[in-house]
Amino acid sequence: MLDNVALILGTTFMYATPLVYSALAGVVSEKSGVINLGLEGMMVIGAFIGATCGFYFGSPFLAFVCAGIAGGLMGLLHAVACVSFSANQVISGVALNFIGPGLALFLSRIFFNGATTTPSISLTNKMPRVLSGLFPESSFFYYIFDNMYATTYIALFFVILIWYVFNKTVIGLRLIAVGEHPVAAQTVGINVVKIRYCAVTISGVLAGFGGASLSLAIVSNFRPTLVSGQGFIALAAMIFGKWKPFGALWACLLFGFAQALVIFLGQFHQLHLPMDLLSMLPYVLTIVILIYFVGKAVAPSADGIPFEKEQKI
Amino acid sequence: MKRVYFVLLVVGLSLICFGCNEEKAKEKAEFKVAMVTDVGGVNDQSFNQSAWEGLQKAKEGLKVDVSYIESKQDADYQSNLETLLDAQNDIIWAIGFKMADIVMQVATQNPEQKYGIIDFTYGKEVPDNIVCVMFKEQEASFLTGFIAAKMSKTRTIGFVGGMDVPVIHRFKFGFLAGAKYADPSIEILSQYAASFSDAAKGKAIANQMYKNGADVVMHAAGGVGDGVIEAAKEKNKMAIGVDRDQNDLAPENVITSSMKKVGSAIYKVTESFTKGEWQGGKTVVYGIKEGGVDIAPTTSNLVPAEILSEVENLKKEIVAGNIVTPASEEDYNKFLESL
Amino acid sequence: MVFLRKFKNMVENNPKLFPFISILIGLVSGGVVLLISGYNPFEAYRIILWGIFGKISYFSYTIVKSTPIILTGLSVTFAFRTGLFNIGAEGQFIMGTIVAAIFGSLFQMPFYLHIPFIILLTIIITGIFGAVIGFLKANYGVHEVISSIMMNWIALYLRNYFVRLSWLAKPNSEQTKSIFDSAVITFFDNFKMSKEGILWLSGHPICKGILRAPTNAGIFIAILAVIFVYFILNKTTLGYRLKAVGFNSDSARFGGIDVNKSFVTSMFISGALAGLAGALQVMAVSHNISILSMMEGYGFDGIAVALIGGCSAVGNLWAGLFFGALKYGGTKLQPLMGAPFEIINIVMGVIVFFVAMPKIIPFIFSIFEKKGEKNVR
Repeated sequence: MLDNVALILGTTFMYATPLVYSALAGVVSEKSGVINLGLEGMMVIGAFIGATCGFYFGSPFLAFVCAGIAGGLMGLLHAVACVSFSANQVISGVALNFIGPGLALFLSRIFFNGATTTPSISLTNKMPRVLSGLFPESSFFYYIFDNMYATTYIALFFVILIWYVFNKTVIGLRLIAVGEHPVAAQTVGINVVKIRYCAVTISGVLAGFGGASLSLAIVSNFRPTLVSGQGFIALAAMIFGKWKPFGALWACLLFGFAQALVIFLGQFHQLHLPMDLLSMLPYVLTIVILIYFVGKAVAPSADGIPFEKEQKI
Repeated sequence: MKRVYFVLLVVGLSLICFGCNEEKAKEKAEFKVAMVTDVGGVNDQSFNQSAWEGLQKAKEGLKVDVSYIESKQDADYQSNLETLLDAQNDIIWAIGFKMADIVMQVATQNPEQKYGIIDFTYGKEVPDNIVCVMFKEQEASFLTGFIAAKMSKTRTIGFVGGMDVPVIHRFKFGFLAGAKYADPSIEILSQYAASFSDAAKGKAIANQMYKNGADVVMHAAGGVGDGVIEAAKEKNKMAIGVDRDQNDLAPENVITSSMKKVGSAIYKVTESFTKGEWQGGKTVVYGIKEGGVDIAPTTSNLVPAEILSEVENLKKEIVAGNIVTPASEEDYNKFLESL
Repeated sequence: MVFLRKFKNMVENNPKLFPFISILIGLVSGGVVLLISGYNPFEAYRIILWGIFGKISYFSYTIVKSTPIILTGLSVTFAFRTGLFNIGAEGQFIMGTIVAAIFGSLFQMPFYLHIPFIILLTIIITGIFGAVIGFLKANYGVHEVISSIMMNWIALYLRNYFVRLSWLAKPNSEQTKSIFDSAVITFFDNFKMSKEGILWLSGHPICKGILRAPTNAGIFIAILAVIFVYFILNKTTLGYRLKAVGFNSDSARFGGIDVNKSFVTSMFISGALAGLAGALQVMAVSHNISILSMMEGYGFDGIAVALIGGCSAVGNLWAGLFFGALKYGGTKLQPLMGAPFEIINIVMGVIVFFVAMPKIIPFIFSIFEKKGEKNVR
């Protein structure tokens, strides 16, 4: 029984990791006042570049960084549109969701001779499972930590880091000020444009990491269906978590837990649960929990509103 | 303002006229063969890819012009078939039973055009301009099930299916029957993922099976299978691939694969067509006997020779008809009784 | 230079031209990507144009392909105008396909009853499915983006569940039974397949061209829906109220509008429009539904259509036709010149990207002007 609990927890973390990165990406961007609907597109690019670089360079961490850079470039594109040209942020995000997968598949066909599935990376060249060797096989902690890659710990680190930056540092306070009231922030001398540029680019980097944590850790290759909607789930997790880093973490863990539960329950054929109906559980559960346990979510007040430098109070 | 619209209109129309120049007629090869993929796309690591590889082989071996067109949505099938019809192909292949109704429709409307459909048969009423190609996936899966049972040290094996649908049943019950044939007391875990894309789910299911004592897991689940094989790779257990030789995904762990050689079937039908024998109006069934399904050639890397020689004997039995491999749950239960 | 300045003035004074400029930029960017990867962009666009207008049948296909995304686009448009972001059009579309597949294959009645019956049921069921999103937002403060994303997946799994139910499934397949002829809105569906039909059509190439595609009544229903949305939004007090909420929900509430009710109403209409797209797709093109291994993207395409169409009912019609044409024409790239279809997604993305930022257009002009000045010197 206990090892089942451990396995469920392990699966929870495995499922949640890519979502945590992308939900954090959403948090950083939206806290600065820019809606980032392009998470899905950024994740696909990140997953593709991660798998490709991992295959060619042989170093998972280098590949991970490359994926971040690729995601960051997408973020920069979003920033140029939303900050410099006061674009409609929702529309720009939707555009990235077309460009991201389109570009990833297009590049894949060019790099890999027409194939949209990248070759598999060998076990020694993929993300290491840092703590998995510490516990004896079939022990409680073995089942928890066996599925936790370096990416999981990095994700948790980013949660704490972003929480710290938001709550304890001047930069974080400025970023929040920019997202809540950019005009006031500007009058006290904060460079709104610069902060938003940085935030949106970092957001892209994180989403790129999210994609790479799929293609370098959970599996070791990219295929077009790999991301299939996880960027949108992350978006939901961010709102669920009320635009807070720890909130987003809990939301992703909850979602991962529900998925793990589906897999656990699915093994009992005597229950006669149709797998299709059972698979709805994470989505239904999210809505139910939102209704009963989470109050109204409030976005940063300047979220989605383009900022114009010349704008006076 | 009106002038602007006018200019746009003129530019547009002139582009159209430019576009309407006659289609280039390329006369290189004697025959033209093309295929429509299903929504999996041409690189699905599965039967679409295999089909395209078969056509490419035909291009070299038979000197035919080949091309493909990918479907992105179910609604694309008909338009894609029509596009290939306009391109004046000699044979148009529809890869996948999802196109069954549409192929029937276009074949009726265009009686001179020859079509082929994979994984579907219209039974006794196959029109003369269609050839149906079916595979006995269960025969290859029977062999992989046999290998799995022989290779398992824990006497427990697993099967991960994509969805609870007939084509997956052929893999599943063939596998189950093969395993029970090798060892009637073997324990078999099985679970459906309700997805063909969620790799994380495949990995979690496989992990769960390995935890519950299985040491060989077969999948028939597309992208979900990537996760299954990944789990085997990490846990250093055994996995069995599907559709093509998936040994390259984990050379130390994928002991065999239940191969479905759509490509070679397409090649054969195309070959006989170029020789003047069109197999239209018929359903061609490819099993082990015809070389349409088989276990992967890399099986010998990880599976000992004595098991392989038993497998060879089994093949002969299947070809001779002494063993009838089950393709559905009903047949499987009958098979179990006969053991 | 004079021409450029004139052009600039003209563009800047007519915001309506912005989408056209974006389309131009999108096509040029796609061309550049093609060029870099070694394909001839002119050849590619020639193939696409030929693929859209080259034959009568191609053109009817374009219309058939455009119909569902015009409707999902309309659904997104309607929600947008009333202050909601309906990312759930995908799920509502799927619900529409389920409703049509069930009620089309269960009963048989005269077509003049059956078709309106299915359409009515679709509107009610998918409308309610959409309204749930509005209800959750109004009563529990659940953000519509979350609930609609979740509803998309729920709809997907629901469809896969229904497809496998024994009373609906076609034996030994991954599809449902086909709907009865009385529920089919494809023109001359049986005639086309009959011997006389084939004979007659071979003598009338124009009719044959038109009917080669599953040409159907869907486009007329879509146009009716466009008129309906235009009318509701611009000519009725309901539309006025919904738009007021969309414009500023706080001041609308202050002005005495029941904001909660308007969320529900708006999502009902939006959901029904997307659901209608799904139902028509089944009644006109597929005639049954099959297992979905992933979302087909009608709802997401609808978002792009709504945005290119400037979120107006009529603009949506043109944008839907444009997108449908590009998607259909784009499928011919692979067999004829080997260029990947994904280029269409890139072009679409770039177009939407530039639609998002009308302010970039004066900026681009200013770059050209500077260059021009240098040349003059």
